[in-house]
Amino acid sequence: MTAPAADRGRPCLLVDLPPMPYTEALALQHRLVAGRIDGRLDSDVVLMLEHAPVFTLGRRGGLEDLIVPRDRLTKAGIVVAAAERGGLITYHGPGQLVVYPILDLKTLGIGVRELVTALEQIMIDTAADFGIVADRDARNRGVWVGEKKLGSIGLAVRHGVSFHGLALNVDLDLTPFSWIHPCGLAGVAMTSLAAQGGIGVSMNTARRRLARHFASVLGCPLTLTALDTLKDLKTGP
Amino acid sequence: MKEIDALNLPEDVRYAEDHEWLRPSEDAARIGISDYAQDQLGDIVYVELPAVGRRLTKGEEFGTVESVKAVSSLYMPVGGEVTAVNEQLAEAPELVNTDPYGQGWMIEVKVTDVAEVAALMDRAAYLKALGG
Repeated sequence: MTAPAADRGRPCLLVDLPPMPYTEALALQHRLVAGRIDGRLDSDVVLMLEHAPVFTLGRRGGLEDLIVPRDRLTKAGIVVAAAERGGLITYHGPGQLVVYPILDLKTLGIGVRELVTALEQIMIDTAADFGIVADRDARNRGVWVGEKKLGSIGLAVRHGVSFHGLALNVDLDLTPFSWIHPCGLAGVAMTSLAAQGGIGVSMNTARRRLARHFASVLGCPLTLTALDTLKDLKTGP
Repeated sequence: MKEIDALNLPEDVRYAEDHEWLRPSEDAARIGISDYAQDQLGDIVYVELPAVGRRLTKGEEFGTVESVKAVSSLYMPVGGEVTAVNEQLAEAPELVNTDPYGQGWMIEVKVTDVAEVAALMDRAAYLKALGG
């Protein structure tokens, strides 16, 4: 099933969301995934947003990779949330672009493994637009600039529909990453497009660039859509 | 990624839409995921399985399989009571990749309704569903 499906190229809805608490975005994803599985939602959807500061744990947990006391987080106003995605602990916060692709992989004609590779490519191409050379590391997935991690991936799949996704560090305070072993990797330093001296870095530009590369790498043109147009799904399971 | 005609799809199991297989048996039907599924997922690093004794209905989630950076849900091809889980997968989840119908089996169930087994796909029907 390596060949693209026949209807690959059909539009996919891009929803630009305001900054949102993690649990709220998770509930939204669950509604959209349920709708995509049972057919009430007949297009793939890509959510783009920033989160309020949060540490999230993967399906296997990852609290052991939190290396500061919990009350330090409370003082800093950072919550900890469980997520059912792959990967271990990570941090999300303002200035990091989070992208949740809710894709019917069967229609798209790709497997989970290929989606991980595609999401890496999308981040590599986006970084290149800002003059930054980023690369993948076959042993530690995600996107790297030298030894520093620029972007992370953590997906979940239900009935062939993907959710969760990628997080690209655009321009953010990287301090909270030093409180964890990101993705369970000790001694890994994080970086951002801004910290790498990217040319003309802004969240808005990063969103537009990433959307363009998403469409091109996955072969699905993106149509900017208001969340309200998906409101019928809000009453879903 | 394997071509469809290169997939290992044995005749002695039945297949579900979500790519699980079931090997029919009176009181202990084994369940796992197909060669197609393991190939689509890539290297499996963790398998989460249910407690023995749990009763699950057809289509209910019985566990998850984590490949690199992705967690995928596993669904019951038929309803039944879990009578055993493959403890070996805790230490060696890669068996799902290397031997999906053998050492990579996941759970054993006492099937509630044999009609649900009959409704699963045979090799030819599954192959057709895969587009082969």
